Amino acid sequence: MTLSRRAALALGAAATGAAVVGGALGRRWWLDREPPSPPVSDAAGHLLWRNWSGIASCYPAMRAAPESEAALAELLRSAPAPIRPVGAGHSFTALVPTAGTLLSLDGLRGVVATDPATQQATVWAGTRLGDLGPALVAVGQEMLSLPDINKQSLGGAIGTGTHGTGAGYQAIHGNVMAFRLATARGDILECSPERNPEVFAAARVGAGAFGVITQVTLQNRPLTRVHKRVYVEPLEQVAAEWPVLSTVHDKVEFFAFPFSGLAAVIATDRTDAPLKPRGPDQDTDTLLSLMRLRDLLGPLPGLRRRVTHALMSGLPAEESVDDSWKLLSNERPVRFNEMEFHLPREAQMAALREVMQVIERGHSDVFFPLEVRSIAPDDAWLSPFYGRESGSLAIHAYYKDDYRSLFAAVEPILRRHGGRPHWGKLHSLRARDLAPLYPRWKDAMDVRRTLDPEGRFLNEHLHGLFVDG
Amino acid sequence: MTIDSRLRSLFSCTVLVALSGCGGPPPTPAQIAARAASLKPGDAHLAELYERSCRACHSEPRANAPLTGDRAAWKARLAKGRPALVQSVLTGVNGMPAGGQCFTCTPGEYDALIAFMADQDGR
Repeated sequence: MTLSRRAALALGAAATGAAVVGGALGRRWWLDREPPSPPVSDAAGHLLWRNWSGIASCYPAMRAAPESEAALAELLRSAPAPIRPVGAGHSFTALVPTAGTLLSLDGLRGVVATDPATQQATVWAGTRLGDLGPALVAVGQEMLSLPDINKQSLGGAIGTGTHGTGAGYQAIHGNVMAFRLATARGDILECSPERNPEVFAAARVGAGAFGVITQVTLQNRPLTRVHKRVYVEPLEQVAAEWPVLSTVHDKVEFFAFPFSGLAAVIATDRTDAPLKPRGPDQDTDTLLSLMRLRDLLGPLPGLRRRVTHALMSGLPAEESVDDSWKLLSNERPVRFNEMEFHLPREAQMAALREVMQVIERGHSDVFFPLEVRSIAPDDAWLSPFYGRESGSLAIHAYYKDDYRSLFAAVEPILRRHGGRPHWGKLHSLRARDLAPLYPRWKDAMDVRRTLDPEGRFLNEHLHGLFVDG
Repeated sequence: MTIDSRLRSLFSCTVLVALSGCGGPPPTPAQIAARAASLKPGDAHLAELYERSCRACHSEPRANAPLTGDRAAWKARLAKGRPALVQSVLTGVNGMPAGGQCFTCTPGEYDALIAFMADQDGR
């Protein structure tokens, strides 16, 4: 009888365990489906456009990729609105979707001119950052700063305030000495601190709402060799050391791993050491392993933390030595959605701790690390770094996962700490929210209305950002 | 020992095979990567499209995309049929963004680019 009762209990426990494991597997299988795609064309036969992550889409009536500045200017006079320039489609916000004209800058690529005396280069705005590195090597130059991903077009990167890291380094647009802007009327404006200075200040970070930037003159520097070191340490230790780390390294950032208590620091410093190219990509495999840990241990955060911590702590540092442009950007083949805010630097660590707490208490699906960087101030009126030393905080969600509830929970923290959103990354702010964050907001809006009084560059998203939100 | 190798070692445990999908794709041989980096379409227009939109990921092992000219990597994909592959390109799937970031390509051009990358264009 006792044996039977034990056997029955054991059977019951086994059945319960099987149901729990089966249920967990079934839930994971359900959540891991490829997100549904919109139809490949609309009723009128217009082909689908989607952004890199897949959450923004449209069916443009017209697609164009002019091969010259003159052809682009002519097109702007007559093409159906909204006219939306697109670079690499890497923005997560709905900057591009249009039922009018999708204007690719792919026909405007390459280096136009270089000046060895000033270390400046004039480049077509459609040039992808990943192509610009080797192109500049040919003239002995490199960009001062590069973002984590280098698939973006130069025009798109500048227009959204895309940035790298380094307390002494401005975002890419901070190194723009001049640009040419094609306006809604089809005029070409030369813009610099000396020529059309107000347009230079307002439209440099303009999200493609002021016109189309066709050429950019970049302040570069001679090629540098750098030593890149990646090492794992306790998150609290890294957070405490962050103000010092930011000053002792030429460029430094860190990735904070939820449910681990750990961070991976990436420090880059100039060196004369012999070449030591980086090896095969490990970031992607690590990320996918973290996803599997999430799948297996997601409902058990305590165990997940202990296992992840045990696996990641005490690992030897990864070291590489190479040209700067080869080491600063990375391949990121796992698609995701992202929110990033730029905070006053003194608020960055407090915000990080709060965000991490929110994630670890209520968002066990998260397995991507948070990215933490520093950016120097600049004077572009709509730059998120305008007039202040900034510390950025980026939160990522796997492209198959629900990003809305995560970002809705995190955004109030970032706003409360005085954050300004990245123009290309997800946020819910509209004109009435943005105006108080930017001291020259009204001036910038005046310039925009003068350049595009009919709003031919405004889609619904931009209308909400700049006009009626 | 790397972060990934430690994590991998955890998932090499047999009890986790079903969950973790252990094993993964084999490492890409250096010669396949070198070949991928050297190939480009014979047709000038197609070569330009490839250069603009495909090469960055399909010639770079770190991007985890099937490499140009790597027949083994393309075999399972081709088994779905080229029309299905074109459909996947148009909508995006897994790491592949919609349209492969070519915003002016036609379905016919996608098909030709797939044929080239899969080494199925008769060269």
